[in-house]
Amino acid sequence: MKRWVNKGARTMVRYLSLYRSFLTHNLKNEMIYRANFAIAVVMDIFFMGVNVVFFAILYANVETIGGWNFHQTMVLVGSVGVVREIAYLTFRQGFLELGEYIRTGRFDAMLTAPMAPNAHLAFRHVSLTESLGEGLMGLALVGYGFAHLPEAAWSSIPFYLVMLINSLLIYYAFCLMINSAVFWLVKSQELNTVVYYFIDTARYPREIYRGMGKAFFTFIVPSSLIATTPAAILTGRANGELVILSLGVAAVLLSLGLAVWNWSLQHYSSASS
Amino acid sequence: MRKYWTVFWVNWQNALQYRGPTFISLLGNVLRVVVLLYLWNAIYRGEGRLGDYSLSDLITYYLLQMVINSIVLSYSSWEIVDQIREGTFSNFLVRPVNYLHYSFMINFSWKLFEGAMVLAAVGVLSFFLLPYITLPSRPETIFFFILALILGGFLSFAFDFAIGLLAFWLVQANAFKYMLQYIIFFFAGALLPLDLFPPLFQTVAKVLPFRYLVFFPIQIFLEKEPHPVEGLLAAALWGIGLYFFLQFVLRRGIARYEAVGQ
Amino acid sequence: MAVIEVKNLTKTFKTHRKEPGLLGSIKGLFWREAFYNEAVKAVSFSLEEGELVGFLGPNGAGKTTLLKMLSGILTPTFGEVRVLGFIPGERDRAYQRQFAIVMGQKNQLWWDLPPAESFALNRDIYGVDPKTFQSALDEMVSLLDLKDLLNVPVRQLSLGQRMKCELVAALLHQPKVLFLDEPTIGLDVISQEKIRGFIQEYNRLKRTTVLLTSHYMKDVEQLCRRVLVINHGRIVYDGSLEDLSHRYIDHKVIKIRFASPQAAAVLSGMEGVVELDAHHAVLKVKKKEVAQTTHRLLGRLPIEDLSVEEVEVDEVIRRIFEEQPSKEGG
Repeated sequence: MKRWVNKGARTMVRYLSLYRSFLTHNLKNEMIYRANFAIAVVMDIFFMGVNVVFFAILYANVETIGGWNFHQTMVLVGSVGVVREIAYLTFRQGFLELGEYIRTGRFDAMLTAPMAPNAHLAFRHVSLTESLGEGLMGLALVGYGFAHLPEAAWSSIPFYLVMLINSLLIYYAFCLMINSAVFWLVKSQELNTVVYYFIDTARYPREIYRGMGKAFFTFIVPSSLIATTPAAILTGRANGELVILSLGVAAVLLSLGLAVWNWSLQHYSSASS
Repeated sequence: MRKYWTVFWVNWQNALQYRGPTFISLLGNVLRVVVLLYLWNAIYRGEGRLGDYSLSDLITYYLLQMVINSIVLSYSSWEIVDQIREGTFSNFLVRPVNYLHYSFMINFSWKLFEGAMVLAAVGVLSFFLLPYITLPSRPETIFFFILALILGGFLSFAFDFAIGLLAFWLVQANAFKYMLQYIIFFFAGALLPLDLFPPLFQTVAKVLPFRYLVFFPIQIFLEKEPHPVEGLLAAALWGIGLYFFLQFVLRRGIARYEAVGQ
Repeated sequence: MAVIEVKNLTKTFKTHRKEPGLLGSIKGLFWREAFYNEAVKAVSFSLEEGELVGFLGPNGAGKTTLLKMLSGILTPTFGEVRVLGFIPGERDRAYQRQFAIVMGQKNQLWWDLPPAESFALNRDIYGVDPKTFQSALDEMVSLLDLKDLLNVPVRQLSLGQRMKCELVAALLHQPKVLFLDEPTIGLDVISQEKIRGFIQEYNRLKRTTVLLTSHYMKDVEQLCRRVLVINHGRIVYDGSLEDLSHRYIDHKVIKIRFASPQAAAVLSGMEGVVELDAHHAVLKVKKKEVAQTTHRLLGRLPIEDLSVEEVEVDEVIRRIFEEQPSKEGG
């Protein structure tokens, strides 16, 4: 038992230090394209702004949507931005480039390096700037909503962060499953539009769904949990049921995602040419 | 003319190669619309109401928006920006083709291909949603609607072609492309019906020609458009004007391309 | 014990045939004819420690597929592979730390950063301790004369300089086995020479086992005493290069550019002339007669330029196959 714990800890330390190396390299790389970076931030803020305008127009006509008022919804919309930024800082970009890596043979190099291929893929292009505008704007929206909600409590922030990480695990698992198909199609762009819509639809409250839709957006395309669960905690709307559901979905989906991924990897190494 | 039809057919074959990816991005689009339908349903269940839209008006609006997204809205600027940036645009300079006509045919075959696929998807969705769909009551509505779609297709291509040509002058054309496309998307009424906008935005949207892409055809279908014929004429005039404008800009762009070289 | 042990190795790919035209595309939506392509067929060989062996064969012969199986990128359909006692397909981390593969046309360096950065990253990935890393790096940098290039972004390097850096990146963890797939492809003659010299020197110093594929006869000639010739997925020759060239290549090619068109008339009808027009001629000449023939030609004809060239590998292979027609007919 102790040996296993030790081994686990060592692996963890090794991958954390690998993550640090990759992050430094990527930051150096991004520094070269500083101009792009400024434009990307402006664009992100613009897109988030359109989302805010969208909801502002809706809330000019209605009081609540699925029980969420405007300020609560802003926490929700902001949380999506924060989740996306952290995802780009940890794993997202690699999946977008998987098809290209396979075509250019760079993925083959990942298979021969003494490092888990999925971690290698995730870290290869961790990007601070890709979604930075969204992250900053997201934080601002969360702060804005939080400040206008009398029921929001400071003490809920640690729990909010925990559930944010849980959402990232769900996001990662979904990416793994969708991108397993890249090994057959050798194109990642279109597959990842599905992932894009998945995260894009996370900004609506989970309460809008009914019946089959509710099950679908919980278990198949679990976008209704990604932002709703953390935002519900911060805005004092959460219940134990929702939290347990989110944790459970994350656990199941992650094991399933890894299984599908490894199986596809096996297919790749028996079928690519 | 014949050569442009060949372009059309060749790209049609090319598009067929992408049926898998196209199908997948269509699924993503379906997902987006289904979520919106749930959103409207939740609002109307709570006895909210948006403007003078009934729930079935809104559902119809977004189903049509999805169709228009595939059949009408052009994404030619993707390829145009790439060709200019990577220098493959030179291939068009040495050949006896007009780049505007060429790109249009490429776009046309993509739109027909995506259109065929989206109609199948919307057909399936409509089957489930039939009780919630607002159908036109007058036969001429369908005629006007189809005319509006065709004109919308021309205009959307023209706007997107113009965005693509920015690459002649801007190094960062891609970033601007995204933003401009999204602004057009917004003021076309693809995100929300334009008459739900606050008054100031509504005024802006009325002046801009982008509403002919999405909002105007759907209003015709929902029979909420008071002046369909005038609108169609205006859209056609915009189209003709843009055609000459684009040919002019293209010539200027080529002159710059030849002078600078990329 | 052999470092690389391959027995009966077979790799089959399943592919689909696409019918041309619109109808074919539509038909392909519902039904596609699958067929199997044996890229590597029952291949067996073994390599001892420190050997430097060349893999010869035309495009599509199965060289790259073999190298990919040896490095665990592909798993065999059938047969056995062992490298350093490991089964590559298991992708054991301990194995991955002991070999390297370099593909001439693929680049793994970070495009916008100086090579030193990519090296440092590889150090972390392979868990090389900083001291060993530094000494290995210094050694190779001086061998390859890279000192001034370490801090120049990769995108500003020439193809040859980039290839040198690729090699360094792959060798920093001091692998015991090295696979090189077309390491000199597309390089100018001087760079090719440098890379060859380095591979030779490195193999001699470290006793690294090297398996190399190449199109260029020169690579193989200079580097490898033993060659494996592969075509249509089968090994058709395994032995020394001298024997191979003695057995299959008995001539060289002389290319001539005439100073005046009259010369052409003299050559017409002469034995061994492959191509001839008013300005050029190509002759096939037995190896031992090359010197004599060249001398004679230069003496008698108004020649502007003359070059003696080796027969290309593809032609050697073609020759081998003329004698050993494949039973399946390819």
